Amino acid sequence: MNNEVYALALKSTLQEIQNACPDVTSNFIFNDGKILAQDKNTNEETATQTIAPYNAIAERADILGGLETITIQSAEGKVNITTINDFHLTTVSSNEADEKYVNTLTRILIPIVIKLVEQIQPASTDNETITIDQTEPEEEDTTEEIVDEPNVDATEETVDETADDDADTENYQPYEPEEETTTTEPYEETEPAEINYEPLLPEPPVTQLIVENLSGFRVPSDTVRVDTEVIAQWNELYSDKKINEVEVEALNGKTTRCKFNPIKKSKDTGKGIIKMPEKIQLTLETVAGELVTVKPVVE
Amino acid sequence: MVKKTSQQETATAVVVDEDELSADPEEDQTFTDLSNKLAEIRKDKGVIGYILRNTTSATIDLKEPEKIVEYALFSSQVLDSSREISDLFELDDVESIFIEGKENNALCMTIDGNKISIFMEKDADHADILKRISP
Repeated sequence: MNNEVYALALKSTLQEIQNACPDVTSNFIFNDGKILAQDKNTNEETATQTIAPYNAIAERADILGGLETITIQSAEGKVNITTINDFHLTTVSSNEADEKYVNTLTRILIPIVIKLVEQIQPASTDNETITIDQTEPEEEDTTEEIVDEPNVDATEETVDETADDDADTENYQPYEPEEETTTTEPYEETEPAEINYEPLLPEPPVTQLIVENLSGFRVPSDTVRVDTEVIAQWNELYSDKKINEVEVEALNGKTTRCKFNPIKKSKDTGKGIIKMPEKIQLTLETVAGELVTVKPVVE
Repeated sequence: MVKKTSQQETATAVVVDEDELSADPEEDQTFTDLSNKLAEIRKDKGVIGYILRNTTSATIDLKEPEKIVEYALFSSQVLDSSREISDLFELDDVESIFIEGKENNALCMTIDGNKISIFMEKDADHADILKRISP
């Protein structure tokens, strides 16, 4: 489980390192005798075969107090294997590569990513506890955990039914979507087939804009018009994702989701305004001149 | 002509396989030159010791003679495994290997069939040593 989380983060990092330094011909990370992550230029078989000779050196390295880094300078390039928090980062580069630049990138980026993943881990650690419970044949315990969750009173009947039917425990469907989805998520994550290797998306940026009236004959009542500069920022942030809707929140806390278009008039761009039809203003209980926050809904 | 050289500053026995003894004069000269260079480098602050060997001769000078076997095994393993790794990535001949340990560092290389391992403290300037030993 942990390794999968690391692999996801590290794979992207390795690829970015290679993009930044084209002289890096191959880079990969291994841990416990297995390849954990690699860039797309790396042949997995070659990478796997590197582990044995590396381990052979590491076994004899007690006279140096243990092995940290090995740099092999060959006629046609160099190989560097660095140990970072039990992960062994291997970088193969041509002789033209700027060693200092490559080392700065790898030795700073990789530890940062590992640290970040470790910081994100607490959520996964909770998941793991439940995963262990599930693998044990004590299905009653699993059910009890669900029952112990808050806001379950309203679903008591459902839970009782689940408890009666032990065979169906794993197929338990949450009754209250918002509260119990988080409880049942770990069960889904225990299945390796469901691991999604898509890169982690950044949090949607929240932009504060001033409401202006949008009226007209052919103006759709379910669409707001947003500053083009704001839309450009979203597109830059989520280049390969489609943003079809925005979530608008008024100062009173009322929110709504709606479609959006860029503001047409060039004189209105860069002014931090959102043009809103009356219907949406009514939904949000806001009026022209008031502030609202807008964030993209990334699909 | 069979020649056996053993300069032992640590009074530790160096075993050489008599069957393999067949050094040509040029190789012998390189060995002598390297041996002199290493003796100079050994005087540097931070240099713990070195191992120099070819098919006929070996010179070992280490701070901890009782660990000579460990040093020799490590040196041999580094040279063999590094060649293996270099071959995997098709990088041609290995020129030098720098190993950073938690307590000490090592620099290994092969020059004209002479296998060299220099052991040093973390703060020793390995780049300078490499420059001085390289032909």
